[in-house]
Amino acid sequence: MTSPNSVPRRFPGIAIPEPLAKLWTLVVPLVVVWLFSFLASSISQTAAIDLGYALANLIIVVAMWTFIGNSGVLSFGHIAFVAVGAWTLSLLTIPATIKSSIMPDLFPFLSDAQATPLVALAIAAVAGGLVALLSGLALMRLNGLEAGIATFALLMLVVQILTYWKQVGPKAGQSMTGLPRSFDLQTVLLIALLVIALAWLYGQSRSARMLRASRDNIQAAPASGVRVTLHRVIAFTVSGALAAIGGAVWVQLNGVAQASQFSLDFTFTTIAMLVVGGMRSLWGAVVGTLAISALSHALSLLEKGVQLGDFMISLPSGSRLITLGAIMVIILIFRPAGLTGGREAMWPFRPKITRPGAQAAE
Amino acid sequence: MNILQALIDATSTGAVYALAALGIGLVFGVMRLANFANGELITAAGYALIILWPISWPLAIIAAIGVAVALALFMDAAVFRWIRSQPPATLLIASFGVSILLQRVYDGIFGTNVLSAAVAPGLTASIRIGELRVNLISVVSIALGLILLLAVRLFLTRTSMGLQVQAASEDFRAARVLGIRAGSVIALTFAISGVLAAAIAFVLTAQSGSVGPTFGVQVTLFALIGSTIGGLGRLGGSVAGGFLVGFALSLFTTFLPDWINDFRIAFVYLLVAVVLVIAPNGIFASRLSKERT
Repeated sequence: MTSPNSVPRRFPGIAIPEPLAKLWTLVVPLVVVWLFSFLASSISQTAAIDLGYALANLIIVVAMWTFIGNSGVLSFGHIAFVAVGAWTLSLLTIPATIKSSIMPDLFPFLSDAQATPLVALAIAAVAGGLVALLSGLALMRLNGLEAGIATFALLMLVVQILTYWKQVGPKAGQSMTGLPRSFDLQTVLLIALLVIALAWLYGQSRSARMLRASRDNIQAAPASGVRVTLHRVIAFTVSGALAAIGGAVWVQLNGVAQASQFSLDFTFTTIAMLVVGGMRSLWGAVVGTLAISALSHALSLLEKGVQLGDFMISLPSGSRLITLGAIMVIILIFRPAGLTGGREAMWPFRPKITRPGAQAAE
Repeated sequence: MNILQALIDATSTGAVYALAALGIGLVFGVMRLANFANGELITAAGYALIILWPISWPLAIIAAIGVAVALALFMDAAVFRWIRSQPPATLLIASFGVSILLQRVYDGIFGTNVLSAAVAPGLTASIRIGELRVNLISVVSIALGLILLLAVRLFLTRTSMGLQVQAASEDFRAARVLGIRAGSVIALTFAISGVLAAAIAFVLTAQSGSVGPTFGVQVTLFALIGSTIGGLGRLGGSVAGGFLVGFALSLFTTFLPDWINDFRIAFVYLLVAVVLVIAPNGIFASRLSKERT
């Protein structure tokens, strides 16, 4: 990312070792998310509630970046893994008595299963990863538009199954209730920070680097011995597991799980966040989510009405999603690479250590 | 259940999906845009039909076509022409955005509830041929499908504008270099997709008699998926794929046993994923490589 011959910016004197500059790309997002949460939770009660959802979305968007950003392959299907995560956590944490009354047809092993919230979260991640691995084995040979459509088909398939299969959930589209609220805001924040760190770690891995090579040149990468499909499957699996964590966190904030929630709107909101920030960087995923979440909170306040001097200003309800859609379209037109331009949060002072050839050795 | 009866129903469903797929395939061919927002054209035309039909049916039909064409041209002018050079995936995301945006606008204007009115009530009648009951609306949708498919084909092969559209969809840059006016060719394909959307809206509103903000979404999803498995960029392939999905959906609904019938849509999506894995560029992609309709 740092080209060795580029002109040093601003303060060329302040150089740091390259590993430190690299770590910077992790520390900045973590600190920004932490500051954002700190501010939002101290504003008001409603802001704190919205913050919870924002953090859940953040996990999901970061998970999507793990695959879409590194591979350059479009996926409209990640909400399927979110659904799997949400479902797993719900089935494992809803008290047995409630479970047997609202879901009498459940498989015995599911109706007996019970786990503490954190264990359930881990199992949700495994379940999401498994579904992603299995579907990835089939779908990862596809590129571009076909990949987008195929992953979309996957989402619809999962939603249909969760809606109608009585042995794994409530009957025909009803909701699962009685979900205990077990993560407070602090825990959710910690999980989000952890997921960002995991996604970053994956991004540093050899596999992710090869995948990015294939993203940048799909012809040259295989010719240089990069096994594109293999690395895509790995990224898809990691990404599915992280998305399932996001789903599990989301559903326990929401308190209710229903198959129809994992819809086009959810897909759109998360894709919009990723696109607005910049699909190609983790920093973009973070910036996009935080920016859109803050904006969305402000708009929902405006929908309720705000006293400005003598005037009561209120937007018609529904203008929130209209604005989000418009913003996404405008960003795509004027800044297709997103707010961050798809760059990581770089150390502002050029690391002078980068030697010509160091990039190639990586 | 009579097999012949089921086939007739499936053909009429398939015809509607084929029309939708044709609209999507045309636009995709010319500008590599798999237009998610095609469904909102159908919805707009549907609203025009439902609101104006009780007043005057010729007016309603003209308005439906006018609204759909105007909206299609507006979409192009406001959004897609600015991002023409972006990769197809970005275009798809943008059209996804436009789609959701328009759905919310419909929400705001017409409310979330469905509007109802009898559109072409005469068409709900059915004629008996021996054992068979044939709904007039099935006949109309099959006829409309055939006529419009033929009309678009004739337009593309027999008129100079149509040839320009074909050339543009073959190789946009080369066509431009050879003096084809890109802007008007693109506008024209959007306009045609608007006309097709109005036709679909007519059949669907005549069947259901009601329109809501997400009226066009389902048919567009399946048509988009159909044209992808048929082979996007091959017009014939898109149409065949769209038809296939509609046909399969209708047959699944008829023939799947009760306990599994809820999963018919899941089966269609499973079929789609399987087809894409076997033939990533669509089933009809290679066979029709030279012959473009």
